[in-house]
Amino acid sequence: MKDYVIEIDSLTKTYQTGKTDFKALNTVTLKIKKGDFVAIMGPSGSGKSTLMNIIGCLDRPTSGTVIIDGENISTVSDNELAEIRGRKIGFIFQKFNLVSTMTALKNIALPMVFLGGTRADRDQRAAELLGKVGLTNWATHLPSELSGGQQQRIAIARALSNNPSIILADEPTGNLDTKTGEQIMKLLVALNKEGKTILLVTHAIALKRFTNRVVNMLDGKISEKK
Amino acid sequence: MITDIFVMALAAMKSYKVRTFLTLIGVIIGVASVIMVTTAGGSVSSFVAEQFNVFNPTGMVIGTGTGGDTPQLSMRSVVFTTNDVEKIQNLPSIKAVAPVGIVPLNKILKRDGFLKWESRPGETMYASTPDLLTIFNLDLEEGTMFEEGKNEVIISKNVAEIFGQDKPLQVGDTIYLRRVDGKTLTAKVVGILKESKTTTMLGAMGNPGIICPIKPYYSTYFGSNAGTILKRVVAYTVLLAEATDTKHVQDAQNQILKYLDSGGSDASKYKDQSLDFVVITQQYILVRIEQVVNVIRVYITAIALISLLIGAIGIANIMFATVTERTREIGTMMAIGAKRRDILQLFLYQSMIIGLLGGLLGCITGASGSWFVVDLLNRSIQNLGGAIATGTINVIYAPEWFLIASIVGILIGVAAGVLPARKAAKMDPVEALRYE
Repeated sequence: MKDYVIEIDSLTKTYQTGKTDFKALNTVTLKIKKGDFVAIMGPSGSGKSTLMNIIGCLDRPTSGTVIIDGENISTVSDNELAEIRGRKIGFIFQKFNLVSTMTALKNIALPMVFLGGTRADRDQRAAELLGKVGLTNWATHLPSELSGGQQQRIAIARALSNNPSIILADEPTGNLDTKTGEQIMKLLVALNKEGKTILLVTHAIALKRFTNRVVNMLDGKISEKK
Repeated sequence: MITDIFVMALAAMKSYKVRTFLTLIGVIIGVASVIMVTTAGGSVSSFVAEQFNVFNPTGMVIGTGTGGDTPQLSMRSVVFTTNDVEKIQNLPSIKAVAPVGIVPLNKILKRDGFLKWESRPGETMYASTPDLLTIFNLDLEEGTMFEEGKNEVIISKNVAEIFGQDKPLQVGDTIYLRRVDGKTLTAKVVGILKESKTTTMLGAMGNPGIICPIKPYYSTYFGSNAGTILKRVVAYTVLLAEATDTKHVQDAQNQILKYLDSGGSDASKYKDQSLDFVVITQQYILVRIEQVVNVIRVYITAIALISLLIGAIGIANIMFATVTERTREIGTMMAIGAKRRDILQLFLYQSMIIGLLGGLLGCITGASGSWFVVDLLNRSIQNLGGAIATGTINVIYAPEWFLIASIVGILIGVAAGVLPARKAAKMDPVEALRYE
């Protein structure tokens, strides 16, 4: 049991669209082991984004239980949810989503700001991570001064800053050219080798080869193939 | 962590410099107006208090002009005879009367050596009696008062220096006064006036540079309206009077007007039909100053309130725009662990900083603007009662209002920021992240 970092049981998420209910997720049960590199694939509207949002503690289930690294997120308050999100989840977005008014270093340090700690510690940790993604010389640059690939590296460093147990990457190569995308994927593989559990949401079948498990989704249900 | 979020708010504002500045303007004007109105009010209050000390509160000017609620002296007609002076002197509430005759001078001359003369353009000279000084609280710095019928004058410090600061006229010097009718009269300087903070009611007629006895300097057959005088009677443009005490100023005023308007007075015969008799008391001047100030105060307060309101709306507006524009960043921050409270603080700080900056800049603007307001007040006072001038109002700042205004700035910033910041904090992270 303790090997599972994500335990989802009979998860249902219903959205009200007008007068009809729309089941984005329909009794999904899924367990993900610590250290897995999982691709979640499926067409638009299959429910993969909704699943991602719930695992990422951005949204709550309508019914069912979701346990993230030992915490049952169905029953916690908004603040606790934010706390779990900050500590246990690292997000990587398709559009990088760096804060445009902050330098690369400050962007990396931002998740630590919300958890407290001294500025010196944060800046030191951010500088380490900047080195890890190979952008030490870009610390004081604003996102607008960086290339897409560089921005995504900064975003990965930011995702690592609170040393989370899970990294959620939502189409991380979607806005990058093939070559740069490849480099980003290799960086994720390296992180996976260091023990991070990575969930990759993607359309791109080509990315399957980087992962060790594929979860296919269709109409709010999982159709898993090895 | 609070300071970290504060720093983030500052950084965000730095990248929106123009927007921040434009938003500031409304707050700046509002706060500046508050500072101006309080500074002007304080300056005037202390001025009025000072005037009550310096003025003779029982003093008044009698003349012709336009009456009514805001009487104005015209200073054009020579109507009051010696007979009138005596009659007014005998009114029950009157302590003293001093006639004032205007003696326009062409030149002031001084002998420099045996055959050389030094000449200066003429000042306006007032012919009166020694009571003039008591009525206006003017003192002599040195020398004595002139004697009626002698060729003696007293002069102000300014006049003493007209031949040069290095060789001022001294008590005992003799000068030569050439009147506009061409006649030159010798005059011995017997006294020099102490400088006064207020130039008194005589101010707008021209500072009393030279004051002389009526004989031998003043006669009625020169001057502006000489034609209306049938006989060679001595007549004056204005009279100065003093009531028996401060409680009887109003009585004295009524008695004088009653006498002058009765038809029994000489003045009523010589007076132009279109003109009224006017009595302006020193008290009235102070009351008028306060009235003017109150009008200005009401206007500026209205401006202050309106600008502060507009400033607040401006801040709210710009904060809503900023929140909407940064929706995806808000979603991102929530995703990486920001609590709703953090987001709320981030935007509240921004609007608070705008308010604070606006407050501080408003204080600076208001401090400078106060000079203009007080200048405006000084101009209004110069025009009060036509010929009447008083001293000048000095700018006196009220430090506590700078503090209050800055705090008001911050409060407005926070109040205006509450709704936008709540909007940001209440966002659903999933939707915020999806925002394009």
